[in-house]
Amino acid sequence: MSGDLLRLDHVSKTFTRGGFFTSRKVEAVKDLSFAIRQDRPEIFTIIGESGSGKSTTARMILGVERPTAGALTFNGLDVGALRTREDRMRFMHAVQPIFQNPFEAFNPLKRLDRYLLLTARRFGGATDEAGAERLADEALRKVGLSLAEVKGRFPHELSGGQLQRVAIARALVSSPKLIVADEPVSMVDASLRMAIVTLFKALRDDLGISIIYITHDLATAYSISDRIIIMQKGAVVEAGEARAVLAAPQHPYSRQLREAVLTPDATPAFSA
Amino acid sequence: MLAILRDLLKYNLEFRIGIILVGIVIGLAGLSFFSPYPPTDVYVVAPDVPPSAEYWFGTTSRGQDVFWQLTVAIRNTLLFGLTVAVISRVLSLVIGLLSGYKGGWIDRALMAVNDTFIVIPLFPLLVLFYFVLRDSMSWLLLAVIMAALGWAYDARLIRSVAMSLKTREFTQTAVFSGMTTREILAREHLPYVMPIVFSTTMNNMNWSIGLEVTLSVLGFTDINTPTIGGMIYWANQHTAMVAGVWWWIAFPVAVVIMAFVGLFLLAVSMNEYIDPRSRLSRMGGGAR
Amino acid sequence: MSGPVALKQPMTPVASAAASTEPVLQVRDVQAHFRTHHFGVSRDVRAVDGVTFDVRRNEIYGLAGESSSGKTTLIKTIAGAIKPPLEVVGGSIRFSFLPDYPGLHAAPPEVLERVRWRHLSYVMQGSMNVLNPMRRVIDTFRDFAWRHIGGSRRAFEERVADHVSRVRLDPAVLRAYPHELSGGMRQRVTIALATICKPEFIIADEPTTALDVIVQKDVLGMIRGIQREMGSSVLFVTHDMGVHAHLTDRLGIMYGGRLVEEAPTPEVFARPLHPYTTYLIGSLPRIGDDTPRKSLEGSPPNLADPPPGCRFHPRCPLAMDICSRQVPPMVETLPGHRVACHAVNPGAAA
Repeated sequence: MSGDLLRLDHVSKTFTRGGFFTSRKVEAVKDLSFAIRQDRPEIFTIIGESGSGKSTTARMILGVERPTAGALTFNGLDVGALRTREDRMRFMHAVQPIFQNPFEAFNPLKRLDRYLLLTARRFGGATDEAGAERLADEALRKVGLSLAEVKGRFPHELSGGQLQRVAIARALVSSPKLIVADEPVSMVDASLRMAIVTLFKALRDDLGISIIYITHDLATAYSISDRIIIMQKGAVVEAGEARAVLAAPQHPYSRQLREAVLTPDATPAFSA
Repeated sequence: MLAILRDLLKYNLEFRIGIILVGIVIGLAGLSFFSPYPPTDVYVVAPDVPPSAEYWFGTTSRGQDVFWQLTVAIRNTLLFGLTVAVISRVLSLVIGLLSGYKGGWIDRALMAVNDTFIVIPLFPLLVLFYFVLRDSMSWLLLAVIMAALGWAYDARLIRSVAMSLKTREFTQTAVFSGMTTREILAREHLPYVMPIVFSTTMNNMNWSIGLEVTLSVLGFTDINTPTIGGMIYWANQHTAMVAGVWWWIAFPVAVVIMAFVGLFLLAVSMNEYIDPRSRLSRMGGGAR
Repeated sequence: MSGPVALKQPMTPVASAAASTEPVLQVRDVQAHFRTHHFGVSRDVRAVDGVTFDVRRNEIYGLAGESSSGKTTLIKTIAGAIKPPLEVVGGSIRFSFLPDYPGLHAAPPEVLERVRWRHLSYVMQGSMNVLNPMRRVIDTFRDFAWRHIGGSRRAFEERVADHVSRVRLDPAVLRAYPHELSGGMRQRVTIALATICKPEFIIADEPTTALDVIVQKDVLGMIRGIQREMGSSVLFVTHDMGVHAHLTDRLGIMYGGRLVEEAPTPEVFARPLHPYTTYLIGSLPRIGDDTPRKSLEGSPPNLADPPPGCRFHPRCPLAMDICSRQVPPMVETLPGHRVACHAVNPGAAA
């Protein structure tokens, strides 16, 4: 138990929809269990389509949503029970998110470096402007950018791929143990996508950061994941070592998913 | 700020007309400080003199110069509208943003209060206040009461914008950058509700001025402080229209309409400028 | 149609007879710019800057491109959805059924009304926009298509029910309201709506992007089936190269507001000539393939201030001196395979 960085024990999340008399329960996540070890950083992938509960899972791990049942602990601490601002700040210091839409991840009316510098001051331990700038620059260099390229720029001045790198750099400024990436490349151009995905690999190998990679794209999942789970309607249908699962999926749903992937070099599916 | 004014003057006809109208009205109000007569004194000039070179807007049946009386009245009326607008904007901003962002029981509690204020019948309540307070009813107290009654609807509007802002990803980025709730509301969300605040400020001023005029005309306010409504009240008391003293009513009404239209035009044009989308487009980010 | 595609698709007699006639759509040197004036800041974004291609009868023509490639603007221009600040600055867009006008945007409303649904229809990404949320699905069909088909109400409804079952939907969905249907069902309803009048030309703009992959596969199969059955032409736009590989007959690749390569789809994937296309295809990850992928450096061009000459040259590994000076012309390098690149067509720019 103590060796686990993140541990989900029979976690469920139920939403109640509707009014007083017509309320019905929607089970977004059902009985989800997995753990990521402290001493072995990995890329843990959650695969699912819309309505599979994968984003709800991400929100629960980030402490934005509380599980209705089960235990979700980070370093042995109950994530749902973080009450004070100090507790939450300590948690966010170690767990950082990356979101789906790079154009939405930063306030379009504000300059980008602001977020980096703020994170450096609040989480990175920087005490003055120069220290914050140094931390931000270090983090940006890890993703192939530099503060000089980002300083004073607005989000619309950068491409989606660059913005997503800035988002990753911002998360790195606080030197987290865990990054939760919810569909981080689905809005990024295909030609820039692999650069970001391989960046995750580098974060795992060079910085020892574990990554929860949430996606519906089996091909990128195959290229970087260590372990994967496939979710359907809130429940895990298949789990295991990524390559093994994706090479030969067992569950009918996983197989259907695997077959629906349109790879560019197979014989065209709709021509004959 | 100066560049904004210059751009607006250069490219926006509504703004130009609005600024001229409001400028005239404010200029009139400013002239009140040079009034040769104390504003509350009566029978300082000959009564019922029609507009002339000596008395530009004529004189009233109470022996007051309409022009100088009007400068004081419009100053008080504008000040009244502004006070109501500022107090009620602050209330609706704080309550709307907080309620929309926090959600949960805070939202439910605030919105319960909010909805109570929305459904309270306004006019009877104001009349009731007048009858209870009578002589201790000053214009400042009336302004505070109206501000307390005038924030609810706009708070709901701001809350709905805040709720959608809460779900946008940059809010989460702000949270995970270590911002406090206050910082998120003031720095991240405020720019998006400013257009609402601006247009509702002008609307709220128009609303409160209109209501004040109505109450004054009916005599339900402190009639000794000269306001536009107060002037019309005294004109009615002296049956000015019947007596042919039309200038006593026409000029106050004309000035208050100028104020209304000017404020409205300013609201419209400022809104276009301050709107985040138009701002983004000017910065070069709109074409994506 | 060129060899490999024709072999793969035995065409119906009707369609092959029609294939010999002129193209259904001829796009010639179209230029569409966004022009904005905001408080003294004037901007001219050249989103589409000289695009030329044909869509033939009985084919699915694919348009691929990434962000700021101009494909969305091009499709809006072709569909006649020109709203300020978008302006058509030059070129012509000629449909075979509308030969008198250089584009839908130039045709008067009553002419548009006549061709819409009957000759031309759209399938867009957000299917909710077409379906009126306050009306049952059958009412939407009646609003749009009854006029063009005519006949008694009963016969019309029978025909709709019949057609809907062809997109593998239960005719019961016709009695439902749009919100009662899932995203996949709604998208299939819009496809049924777009095809019921058997139009000659269908514009499909990212019709499956919002769908889950399993549903996407179904919907794509349906689009191909219906197109085959009616012998119509489809202009299919998506950024997803996997979809193009499996669905389209010919494929045009856009970059920075221009077409850079065009060929039969299998040829594009087997023998990409333009360096951008090569990267685009080479960067796609494949399950079971562990070779490292090369990603493109740099960012897409800013169309308000595009690089001179070839717009790809700042990111291009083959860039030469001429690339920054001269716009490479589109040249038919191989039969049916056009490329705009100085490195591929040396000396083409005379």
